[in-house]
Amino acid sequence: MNVRYVATINGTDYLIEIVDDRRVLLNGQICEVDFAAVGDQPIYSLLLDGKSYEAYVYSQEDEWQVLLLGNLYSVRVEDEREKRLRAAAGGRVMLRSEFHLKAPMPGLVIAVPVIEGQRVQKGDVLVILESMKMQNELKSPREGVVTRIRVAAGDSVEQSQTMLSIV
Amino acid sequence: MFNKVLIANRGEIAVRIIRACRELGIQTVAVFSDADRHALHVRYADEAYHIGASPSRESYLRGDKIIEVALKSGAGAIHPGYGFLAERADFAQAVLDAGLAFIGPKPSSIAAMGDKAVARATVSKAGVPVVPGTEGEGSLSDEELLAIAPQIGFPLLIKATAGGGGKGMREVKSLEEMPALLRVARREAEAAFGDGNVYLEKLIDGARHIEFQILADTHGNVIHLGERECSLQRRHQKLLEESPSPFIDDDEELRRAMGEVAVRAAQAVGYVNAGTIEFLVDKDKKFYFLEMNTRLQVEHPITELVTGVDIVKEQIRIARGRQLRYRQEDIRMKGWAIECRINAEDPYNDFMPSTGVLTHITPPTGPGVRVDTGVYPGFEITPYYDSLISKLIVWGETRAEAILRMRRALEEYRILGVHTNIPFHQRLMDSHRFMAGQFDTRFVEERFSLGSAQESVETHPDVAAIIAALVAHRQTQRAAQFVHHNERDVSNWKWVGRWERMRR
Repeated sequence: MNVRYVATINGTDYLIEIVDDRRVLLNGQICEVDFAAVGDQPIYSLLLDGKSYEAYVYSQEDEWQVLLLGNLYSVRVEDEREKRLRAAAGGRVMLRSEFHLKAPMPGLVIAVPVIEGQRVQKGDVLVILESMKMQNELKSPREGVVTRIRVAAGDSVEQSQTMLSIV
Repeated sequence: MFNKVLIANRGEIAVRIIRACRELGIQTVAVFSDADRHALHVRYADEAYHIGASPSRESYLRGDKIIEVALKSGAGAIHPGYGFLAERADFAQAVLDAGLAFIGPKPSSIAAMGDKAVARATVSKAGVPVVPGTEGEGSLSDEELLAIAPQIGFPLLIKATAGGGGKGMREVKSLEEMPALLRVARREAEAAFGDGNVYLEKLIDGARHIEFQILADTHGNVIHLGERECSLQRRHQKLLEESPSPFIDDDEELRRAMGEVAVRAAQAVGYVNAGTIEFLVDKDKKFYFLEMNTRLQVEHPITELVTGVDIVKEQIRIARGRQLRYRQEDIRMKGWAIECRINAEDPYNDFMPSTGVLTHITPPTGPGVRVDTGVYPGFEITPYYDSLISKLIVWGETRAEAILRMRRALEEYRILGVHTNIPFHQRLMDSHRFMAGQFDTRFVEERFSLGSAQESVETHPDVAAIIAALVAHRQTQRAAQFVHHNERDVSNWKWVGRWERMRR
């Protein structure tokens, strides 16, 4: 039996069925594929009905990031069982875990423009970090409440050091 | 006359200078910090000496140590590159005092052009138009600046007196928000340059940033090598430059007028060696002197490609006391050149700098393509220095050919291990406004975004979906070789144990 996947990009679903090594069905349409990794790198070459594509693919959180012809696509790939389970759970009920703001690189904390207990919106600046001669604004990925601020202006931080959390 | 040059810099520009020396048969001396032991400039130079820890103030900014290395190694001259010590008059003076040649201008020219207020006063005395602002007023207090601001008019810019590169720079839209912005600008200037003095400048709407390359020898000859268009910037950092400027294009009269003014501005400070006069040009082609960069510019290669002049070699010849090999009438701009700065930053995450080991690089090659870089696969991008990985430069007979060639080269370029801004440049090359040459210094920040639908290009979400599914499928299959998926009631560790027992 074909393995069936649902790939979602920007809310649009693509049904992809793997027939064998050389054939897939895209939304029911048969396509000839020749898929190969280039060297040991996360670069993939796809010959799709004879057309040649090359993409850089890496995973980030629970999505695949596909850099193709100068465009970045965030693709969620689920097999049908996962998709059904999520639909049965009501779709929107996502596990709301704590977000830990980690330093993306070593640097110097210039400012922490929030305080503990403060409610923030997605995109609000949480920390200003200086690195590579630039001041970088680290923003909140979602709305929530600031807790456990562990750094202050003037502190040096190591890469991946947790600076504060959002619940 | 010297036969050995010390390069007081790192990265792609150190490599660029070593190449020029090689072609002239001059010996080279590199200096390096802890982080740069494996850097390309260290590997390419004839000699290399360690000068300190990774932070630049303990290594590349240690003028005393660098001069010591020059004397010890028998170098007769120091080339400062750009950044670091390149525009420090005290360093240039110390080099001369040590009996060495400085491949750059006289210390007095650096000092005159380095203080923006003095620079503006000097050139305006020579009849060069400057942007309205608190020129030549020295260091003013917040109260004085707030009093003068309404006379200049809003919007205006607060700029650091000792500034450059956008540090300590703020845009002010009204008097009410000005006190807070003054505080921020002063703090940033203090942190970046050790000098919190700022001045005000009228913000010119729809302004273009166009600069002229100057060459001047010690015999009183000063010429210009035409212009570079540098309007495409983000947070006052240049991202892409081209020569000629599509705004000047075939307006030879404007080019001649600006070139003459640029030469006059350089002469006003008795300039010697390579330098750049930056202008702001408004919609009506009125131009104003902005500042002079008293050093080699990052974007010098585009001028080299359209004029055929090797600017770095010319710098060395000038420092050796030779006459310029070109007169103004010898300079012809042929074809079109574009440079994209390839930075280690993530264009999908607010251009956040990205660090890490470069695992794989496939540089573009082929007709009309030049890559200036200081990295190679296996080299680590560290947080200590700026994020420039390389400069991708193309030449074409026409602007259209140059754009198509740049598109082709960007598509060929593969850099893995860190995020790069290559997708940003690809999108820019597809932008209709860029193609039409309709942009000003605010274009990137205000009218351009990676996700915007108005700059529509052909997309392939279906192909991306297939690729992602195939990658996910491979991963699942690989995992299934170890553990069977449907037996969820048993822990994976038990399965690994059973599997290992079976193999015994």
